[in-house]
Amino acid sequence: MKFYKVEVEEREELGSYTLLRYRWSDGPVEPGQFVMARAAGYPETLDPFLARPFSFYDYDGEMASLLFEVRGRGTALLDLAPTIEVTAPLGKGFRIEPGLGRAALLGGGIGVAPLKILGRRLDAAGVPHDVFLGFADARSAVVAREFQGAEVATMDGSEGTHGTVLDPIDTLEDYGAVYSCGPNPMLAAVKLAAGENSLCQLSVEERMGCGNGSCNGCVVPVRGGGYIRSCIEGPVFRAEVLAW
Amino acid sequence: MVVREQKTGVDLAVELCGLMLRTPLIPASGTLSREALGEVEGVYGAMLPKTATPVARAGNPPPRVAETPAGMVNSIGLQNPGVEVFLRDLDAFDLGVPIFISVAGDTVAEFASLCERLADDERICAVELNLSCPNVECGGLAFCAGPASVEEVVAACRAAVSDKPILAKLTNGGVVENARAAEAAGADALTVINTLPALTVDARMRKVLVKGGLSGPAIKPVALRAVYDVSGVVRVPVVGSGGVTSGTDVAEFMLAGATAVQVGTASFVRDPYEILDEFTVYLKESTLSAKELTGALRGVRPVLTGGEDI
Repeated sequence: MKFYKVEVEEREELGSYTLLRYRWSDGPVEPGQFVMARAAGYPETLDPFLARPFSFYDYDGEMASLLFEVRGRGTALLDLAPTIEVTAPLGKGFRIEPGLGRAALLGGGIGVAPLKILGRRLDAAGVPHDVFLGFADARSAVVAREFQGAEVATMDGSEGTHGTVLDPIDTLEDYGAVYSCGPNPMLAAVKLAAGENSLCQLSVEERMGCGNGSCNGCVVPVRGGGYIRSCIEGPVFRAEVLAW
Repeated sequence: MVVREQKTGVDLAVELCGLMLRTPLIPASGTLSREALGEVEGVYGAMLPKTATPVARAGNPPPRVAETPAGMVNSIGLQNPGVEVFLRDLDAFDLGVPIFISVAGDTVAEFASLCERLADDERICAVELNLSCPNVECGGLAFCAGPASVEEVVAACRAAVSDKPILAKLTNGGVVENARAAEAAGADALTVINTLPALTVDARMRKVLVKGGLSGPAIKPVALRAVYDVSGVVRVPVVGSGGVTSGTDVAEFMLAGATAVQVGTASFVRDPYEILDEFTVYLKESTLSAKELTGALRGVRPVLTGGEDI
């Protein structure tokens, strides 16, 4: 896999998360597509060994941004590096279908990342939408200020509705399209709540090895048996494709 | 197709089992997808897609990969569409270099019938027997349990495919004895080594994260030792595999006795083209051709600085 060095132009702390911006001109990018990224510098990059997958948070044709949470050494180094290495755009993103009526966007934790660029593209396509964001606590919910008008819920009740991302919602079944990204149990709950009338698309979060389809490490179970790769066939899947 | 020799003046070609390889690099089985082929044109001397089995395998449930210091542990479980679909789609791997096929069966009979199936397919130049996958319940690593089982499966495959070279891919444990057995049973070359059996643990959740095979730079010294030891006791060529990440690594494996070298996990984190470029620079600086490196360590006595007795 070929990586490209880019300078980090801007770094912003948003509660528990970091927002990082860099110049990127290799568009176009679909919302939901992802980037493999790491702190720069072979052979230092041999440990930690693998790059990490991140959804595009935003991309305007000139500046790309990634939203991430420091969870281990890879992200800790990424959080400090003045230069990073990226390869993108990877995977299949969200399909936008105008004419389905109002859309619901549901993000859980760091899974809110692709909803920023998705919301922008929905606006451009003239698709009205509501945004629902769920977090563990108020500190991780800081990023919600970047999503104007979003309905926020926290598991500990320290911000917005006390409960899950689904708790502030009466029903999802009136929406023509449902878009979601977050931990798998949340996505399974969204799939169930969306019912069968809407176009429901889920962006999964999986551990990845390569990001280019080679290692078969990032698979998700599909209905009817077997597994498919989230880096090539996903990370965005039609809900009915997934086994859970 | 890039003709690198003209560009660099360096002779990268090697001969393996009568096949001319434009470079000594071969992708390790299971590390190069069809989708990634566009990135590797001109890098490899042969193609080697992911292992095919008699019927489709869904593979193991996730999580399948875990990062470790300078490496990763995988437990894919030989996910593949089965040999028939595999052969139907094989043309995608035709990049103008010889195609090697990796096969695995649960039993000796399955190995033999896979070899029979491939015997008359003219697209296929060589067969690699995956005798050492750590991530399947039947077969896999069990074939490397000892020289007797290695000999049995290699002999059965030899009988099934007479006019294509057979490479036996071995695990590190018992590699010298198993290499001798594979050679005696008719293997034309030995791939040394597969991933090392390994475990990762999630201490916070108090559970096994991934039980599988370790690959990456972490295993390079182990693989080098295996290549060195095996190439010292067999006549057939050895294909080095295990943690090759740089051009210098390629040179080290060849010096230790490898005729060709597989690049696997490193291709997830580096452009394999860079590895070939570094190797080309190494050859240029040492004014050697690729094939002159193989086994060169053995001919070299330690450099003495005058008047020393050994």
